[in-house]
Amino acid sequence: MDAKLKETILNPIFKGNPITVLVLGICSSLAVTVTMKGALVMALSVIAVTGISSLILSLLRNTIPSRVRIIVQLVVVAMMVILVDQILKSFEATYAIDKQLSVYIGLIITNCIVMGRIEAFALGNKPWPSFLDGVANGAGYGMILIIVAFFRELLGSGTLFGVDILNWLGYVPNNLVILPPFALILLGCIVWVQRSIQKDLQEK
Amino acid sequence: MNTNSNIYTVIYTTVIVTLVAAILAIVSQSLKSRQEANEKADTISQMMTAAKFATKAELQKMGNTAVLAKYAEEIGQAFIVGPDGKKVSDLPLDKVYSPKELKKQNYNIKGAGTAEIPVFIFKNGTTVVPVYGAGLWGPVWGYIAFEPNSNTIKGAYFDHESETAGLGAKIKDDPEFQNEFVGEKADFSNANIFDIVKGGAPKEADGSSVIDNMIDAITGATMTSNGLDTAIDTWLGAYSAYFKGAVTTKTEEE
Repeated sequence: MDAKLKETILNPIFKGNPITVLVLGICSSLAVTVTMKGALVMALSVIAVTGISSLILSLLRNTIPSRVRIIVQLVVVAMMVILVDQILKSFEATYAIDKQLSVYIGLIITNCIVMGRIEAFALGNKPWPSFLDGVANGAGYGMILIIVAFFRELLGSGTLFGVDILNWLGYVPNNLVILPPFALILLGCIVWVQRSIQKDLQEK
Repeated sequence: MNTNSNIYTVIYTTVIVTLVAAILAIVSQSLKSRQEANEKADTISQMMTAAKFATKAELQKMGNTAVLAKYAEEIGQAFIVGPDGKKVSDLPLDKVYSPKELKKQNYNIKGAGTAEIPVFIFKNGTTVVPVYGAGLWGPVWGYIAFEPNSNTIKGAYFDHESETAGLGAKIKDDPEFQNEFVGEKADFSNANIFDIVKGGAPKEADGSSVIDNMIDAITGATMTSNGLDTAIDTWLGAYSAYFKGAVTTKTEEE
């Protein structure tokens, strides 16, 4: 694999992470991280939307009239989001999670990562790198979601993926952890850890 | 080719939008039956949660087929009542009302037509009726279960489309809120059949309720609580003729 492609994939995971570095997609990362299951489904949904919409728009990039390009992007992204929502609703295993995530699946369209990557990358690159860029950005977003959800479900409910981990030891679940403000505190801690490892992100 | 000419732009957007609409229509049609099956099982588990057969989580773990089988085992009769509280017609025992159908009847109750609303009676006598109304961001609905031939509430379960997570969404997620309904009585002789009040319902020192048809609203979710209050008053109001009949019949029998 050539170095540029590798950079495309690895950059959004850590060095240019959409949540902790670009500070995009904060809203949903606070809202859907109460349980691991919810966070995982949300992460996979966002990966599917960013990856496939980047691929489609990269294929169309030379035909799109530049005056209406945002509208065309929006139509494609909206289609992907509705497809994901419809598919989640159709399976018994995901129906309840779809209901739990409620509006946040539909709100993937407002997630700045999706349109941002299309505008910044997919419209100027070939389909394969664009697809990888979309998937990698979705994965970078999903990774943070899962880290936050890990702590919130473990400390807030004493479980992971609904399986009892701490409760049988007599742990009393902390209700503060369930509330959105704690997700923001956790997110702050993750940014802190990342910035202390990656010194060039620190402002002078 | 000049991709910036007006004609090109108009044709391009038309084609893209039509294409996307066609794809979505096909997908929606082909997945419809699966989605409806999921929704039906979900509605049934809401009714059974209200009637205290199991908790929502337990029913969810059982899976759709098992939930439908348990419902078929427990349901005694289902029928439609008119505005005068008299039975209009029987419902097939596997028929439940989706939120969309409740919405239609909600318009009828409010005067758009003749309301024909369902009553579900389980074999153990528990009577379950739906309620439907507007929350803050979208519809709220739910099921209220009554003890056999009585106006005492056995249980309740509520659901919503898009209430705020952590606040209004508590009508669904907070079992404590739903448990507040247990043991309360719907006052069918009053226009204000049931109250969800801000600032706390008066309570005895031991925590039991002083006023039988009043419970606490959810802190931070006044609009959702008010919406639910209106939904309950409207729907139980539509059922009041039926319940008055059902409760008096019992007194005569005694």
